[in-house]
Amino acid sequence: MSAVPAIELREADIAKDPATTPILSGVSWKVRVGEFWVLTGAHGSGKSILLETMAGVRPCASGDLCWFGFPVTTRSLSSSEGAALRRRIGLVFEGGGRVFGELTVAGNLALPLSYHEGIAMEEAVKRTAPLRTALTLDRIADLPAGRIGRAWMQRVALGRALALGPEVLLLDNPVGGLDPRNAGWWRTFLQALSKGHPAAGGRPITLVLSSDDARLWDGAGCQFGEVRDRRWVPSPSAAGAGD
Amino acid sequence: MAVVTVVRWFDALARRLGRRWLDRVETVRQIGAFTLITLGVTVTKFGSAPQVVRPLIRQQIVRSGIRLLPTVAFIGVALGLLIIGQTLRLLHQVGQQELVGSLIVTVLVRELSPLSAALVVLARVGTPTVVELGTARALGEVEALEALGIDPIHYLVVPRVLGITVAVFALSVYLLVFALVSGWLVSVAANVALPLSSYMAQIAGALRWQDFPLLAGKSLAFGATGALIACYQGLARPLRLEEVPRAATRTVAESVVSFLVLDIAFLALQLLTFA
Repeated sequence: MSAVPAIELREADIAKDPATTPILSGVSWKVRVGEFWVLTGAHGSGKSILLETMAGVRPCASGDLCWFGFPVTTRSLSSSEGAALRRRIGLVFEGGGRVFGELTVAGNLALPLSYHEGIAMEEAVKRTAPLRTALTLDRIADLPAGRIGRAWMQRVALGRALALGPEVLLLDNPVGGLDPRNAGWWRTFLQALSKGHPAAGGRPITLVLSSDDARLWDGAGCQFGEVRDRRWVPSPSAAGAGD
Repeated sequence: MAVVTVVRWFDALARRLGRRWLDRVETVRQIGAFTLITLGVTVTKFGSAPQVVRPLIRQQIVRSGIRLLPTVAFIGVALGLLIIGQTLRLLHQVGQQELVGSLIVTVLVRELSPLSAALVVLARVGTPTVVELGTARALGEVEALEALGIDPIHYLVVPRVLGITVAVFALSVYLLVFALVSGWLVSVAANVALPLSSYMAQIAGALRWQDFPLLAGKSLAFGATGALIACYQGLARPLRLEEVPRAATRTVAESVVSFLVLDIAFLALQLLTFA
């Protein structure tokens, strides 16, 4: 296991906008390669903003964020090294994953690959076929992503993030609002990803996800953290995270 | 007491007008900054992700140019009929047919064709562009692109600006051709004795070499400005879904004012270079 954390926050203040009052203060969190974290907390406690900050979509209000030891700032992300590093960190948004509604399901998965690899969309669609199959999206591959159900959109967003072969995957409440069957599918699939899924190249992926219900992830071999009273705190177990 | 009321009223008016002007200056500054960012991305990412960006540019040219060709043809024919036809008839009546070339070049080539093409594209494509981008922003698709390492300016703005700019230029030329042809046909129908050869010779005689870069520059500037304002209004500031229609209205108003300001700037340039 690498000594350098995959993601590290040091005394970071997390805010929706750097000009506003931080939602979370002094977050110090090391996510090491191969770990599987579940983050819990009340609605509106700042879990989504925290994950988006860790993914580099929002800047830290203060403090430091590092990816594999590389300091992440708005400026450093625009460098070629920062841009290459960004591809190693995937983010799946909550509530339908913010899929591109005008593209087909297959197009959503192919777009990042086509953009970064410089290959035609048709070729990227072919290359992402195993991923579509693993996510059981073949049946709806040609439908516009804006017209499918929310549970399927969430899977499309997962596939889109996995298409670039990330080493770390951040998932914002992936099972929020899903029925038990779908939630079960996510638990099984993410556990497999954590250990190395063939559709993701067989390489274990470091996972950090937020969840409303920590109990769903009990026994899934994860570590728990909680957002409480404007602070991030590690929890010993799912039961502790839910308290 | 009445004096105090009047003074307060004027004070409130001055504050209101001052704030409005400051807001306008701030909008111009932000659009300028957005333009520079777009220009920077266009240059630095030129040739990157061609398999994604080039089809998007082609798609924009089809949408803003080819699909609008029938509308532009109709407007060109109408302008030819209304302006050239009537002008020819009037000049024929007063025996000043030799002025027809100068009038057509001044009114159509230098002014109406780029302006009309830009207004058509603004109405048909500018507003939907704001709605599309505003909706994408409101639904968080911009952050989704960033999370995938895709530059939203490169993916969403550059193809639209390039496509719309090229489309306005091409439509200006087509509109001009349609207007010239229909104008002559109307003159024939109205029994104005002006052979096609002398009609064309008069226009060619009135044209200066500067008219060609002027037409190109004007139509490209109008296209780029309208596209940038539409993209700015849709994308550059966080929008709620209910704010999208208002942003579309702002786009039309700001673009029309910008076209007129640009027109005046081109006129000044024209007066300097044509002297």
